[in-house]
Amino acid sequence: MRRVVITGVGAVSPHGIGTAPFWNGLLEGKSSITALTRFDPSAFESRVAGVVPEFKTTDFVPKSYRKSTKIMAHDIELAVVAADFAVRDARLITKGIADPESPLEAQLLAQGWSKPDPARVGCNIGAGLISANLDELTAAVAEVRNPDNTMNLARWGRSEDPTKPSGMDHLTPLWLLKYLPNMLSCHVSIIHDTQGPSNTITCAQASAGLAIAEAARTIQRNQADLALAGGCESKVHPMGLMRWSLLGRLNGKSNDNPGAACRPYDRDAAGAVLAEGGAVFVLEELEHARKRGATIYAELAGFGSTASASRSPIDPDPSGEAPAMAIKKAFRDAGISPDHVDLICSSGYAVPDWDRSDVNTLRIAFGQTLAKTALLPARAGIGDCGAGSQALDIAAAALAMHQQTIPPAVNCPHPVANLPINQQKKTGSLQHALVISVALGGQNSAIVLRRAT
Amino acid sequence: MRKRVVITGMGWVTPLGLDIETVWRRLIAGESGIAPTTIFDARTFPTSFSAEVKGFDLRQAVGSTYELHRDAGRNTQFALGAAHQAWKMAGLEDAKLDPYSVGTYMGAGDGGLDFENFTRATLAAWAPGAHALDTVAWGKIALEKMHTMTEIEQEPSMTIAHLTMEFNARGPSLNCLTACAASTQAIGEATEIIRHGDADIMISGGAHSMIHPFGVTGFNRLTALSTLNDNPRQACRPFDANRGGFVLGEGAGVVILESLEHAQKRGATILAEIAGYGSSADAYRVTDQHPDGRGAVVAITEALKDANLTIRDIHYINAHGTGTKENDSTETYAIKQVFGDIAKNVPISSIKSMMGHLIAAAGSVELITCILAIRDGMIPPTANYATPDPECDLDYVPNKARAAKVDIAMSNSFGFGGQNDTLIVKRFAE
Repeated sequence: MRRVVITGVGAVSPHGIGTAPFWNGLLEGKSSITALTRFDPSAFESRVAGVVPEFKTTDFVPKSYRKSTKIMAHDIELAVVAADFAVRDARLITKGIADPESPLEAQLLAQGWSKPDPARVGCNIGAGLISANLDELTAAVAEVRNPDNTMNLARWGRSEDPTKPSGMDHLTPLWLLKYLPNMLSCHVSIIHDTQGPSNTITCAQASAGLAIAEAARTIQRNQADLALAGGCESKVHPMGLMRWSLLGRLNGKSNDNPGAACRPYDRDAAGAVLAEGGAVFVLEELEHARKRGATIYAELAGFGSTASASRSPIDPDPSGEAPAMAIKKAFRDAGISPDHVDLICSSGYAVPDWDRSDVNTLRIAFGQTLAKTALLPARAGIGDCGAGSQALDIAAAALAMHQQTIPPAVNCPHPVANLPINQQKKTGSLQHALVISVALGGQNSAIVLRRAT
Repeated sequence: MRKRVVITGMGWVTPLGLDIETVWRRLIAGESGIAPTTIFDARTFPTSFSAEVKGFDLRQAVGSTYELHRDAGRNTQFALGAAHQAWKMAGLEDAKLDPYSVGTYMGAGDGGLDFENFTRATLAAWAPGAHALDTVAWGKIALEKMHTMTEIEQEPSMTIAHLTMEFNARGPSLNCLTACAASTQAIGEATEIIRHGDADIMISGGAHSMIHPFGVTGFNRLTALSTLNDNPRQACRPFDANRGGFVLGEGAGVVILESLEHAQKRGATILAEIAGYGSSADAYRVTDQHPDGRGAVVAITEALKDANLTIRDIHYINAHGTGTKENDSTETYAIKQVFGDIAKNVPISSIKSMMGHLIAAAGSVELITCILAIRDGMIPPTANYATPDPECDLDYVPNKARAAKVDIAMSNSFGFGGQNDTLIVKRFAE
């Protein structure tokens, strides 16, 4: 069977733009959660967030594509930037990196970069519900405001004075395209000219793992040699804050101490933190990677996915059974047993009943061997990036395998249930890592990474 | 060896009706489900009509579990209705199944926005002359007015969340949202999951409802919709020289996919077999298809290769056929590139002419149409076809259903952003 490895990592996170600041942030054991300033959140209980530092998307796309950045919601921008880092990291020359037959292309080829066949490159990027820019939308809606603050739908459709624009005319013609979830994959596929199988998985925090698994299967089946896969999302938006506040999911007690707000598996865990970010990876068939001398971070050794089918779409599976089954499937797929796992990255929302469910999951999947592994809740210093969450977990695990180093956990001095939290930076022999993500909505995605040999 | 995948159940909730046989009869009769929009007052909109689902009752569709789903979005409610039909047809109501062997893979999109409260809150927090929303004022009103579940149900994973609850389906669970190609892709990828042995049964298809003010606004601004407000029934004119855009529809289609082995073991009635699946990206523009139909050609070719079939084996093509200028000529050109000299001999039709465009759900109802065409030897027509277009010069089965032996049918779906997916389905034989 064709084997699939990771040969490029592109992360965009509250720790910074790019993979290096992400990894350094983890190694330093720092929290990048800060007071939320993108908009005034004073109406809400929780006013902290994991925000990606500002960047210019135009710096990450070819000149010819700069105009298109105007129709990118923030989620799309994150994916475009992450993909740029991943492709460069993998030393691939796509249309997004150098124009065909340009001096730059020749230069990169001379430096050992490779130029893939576009038909053999797929793209599969997980995405979430993208909220419209409220300033843009409301400015248009306000043009047809009734005295009682309702919207005049009749004038929205057509102006009473035919020489004047209707309400909807105040929106740019391409307005809808800014917010379609598949636009993450679409822009990335256009920029890098990936013409192979392409998909957009929208399963909240399980999206990235499911997208990576699906893309890897297309490579295993020989429908592609390479794929750009991962997930990105921004929840740092008034709509995101409103929805999660209504859900009662956020920590509203740490506004004075944002860095300590997200405390996965800690006895003082008090809720999740809204965040944004994600990662895109270059997945590649092993021989293809070897032949071109690519850096191999880790092998994607096994996948498992299940649904919790709880009694409500917003509650976890208290037994932890369904996510544990996803882990067992991934172990079986990878041909390993729990005692082979040296590192676990799990969801760790810092929402107490979700954390308890995680504990049960890990107990079922690992039994006695749980104590012998190291658990890294990688989101503690970042927050919950929705569809980008598991991508960052996988980036953390892949980098840990490659560097043979487990970063220290953040904000978990008093782990519940004696969980084997990795408190100190640890180096040593890492052969396998497990990444398990449990989504709001009940989708569970498990991935086993194996050290590249 | 990969496993063979068959279809053992199917169901739909569409603008032409709420059960398989009614909708099928109406498609064959060339009837239209397109009429002035009633979900909201669209009288002044550039497009004031759509293809709405009429008379759907969730309580009737799901029965005793109604309370679990009452807050679900419109799309999810349709999906539950379609899935119940499919589950029952597949004879799974009393089957003893390992929950972890039953998965879900949907291409489900929007379920509707809380338009009233959303616009009230934003307008109340928008000072005249302001350039930005007062998020403090907005937050206070939004927290008071918005309903938790209505908001959360808008997440695109909620359709599968409800399906997994309803059927205790704990196997692989995914939703993809690749615009108008979503449910074709969902069924294709669900097939791959069974082929690979990761599930015995997949509940798969699509569900969507964008018939709300901002949904119609989005498509109207793109000038993608027909504006033939005086004659909604004839507004969608796929492949006709005077076509002027698509008609927004809503609904859901669900099929039960099953490994042949599993279906035979439990003595299930096999409706058809999934023969092949192909997927590609145009990688061209977010607004337009590649003018040569580059990606469409790849998807169709890959599906044929996957099915181990040749162009001569295809008896019917259910076209994407949206009724936009661009899609229909590009799709025609793509078919001609793949089918060459015999392109003119393959009957092609678009049921969007009657049912409208169900967006993410379109591919699922079109695959079901292919299965019914195989079952009854009847090809539904392309309605409203009057004036030939020199760029669209194939056999579109104009206006009248046609009796024909159909053993193998192909269904195409192409989405905004250059997503292309093709499924091939065939009559089951051992």
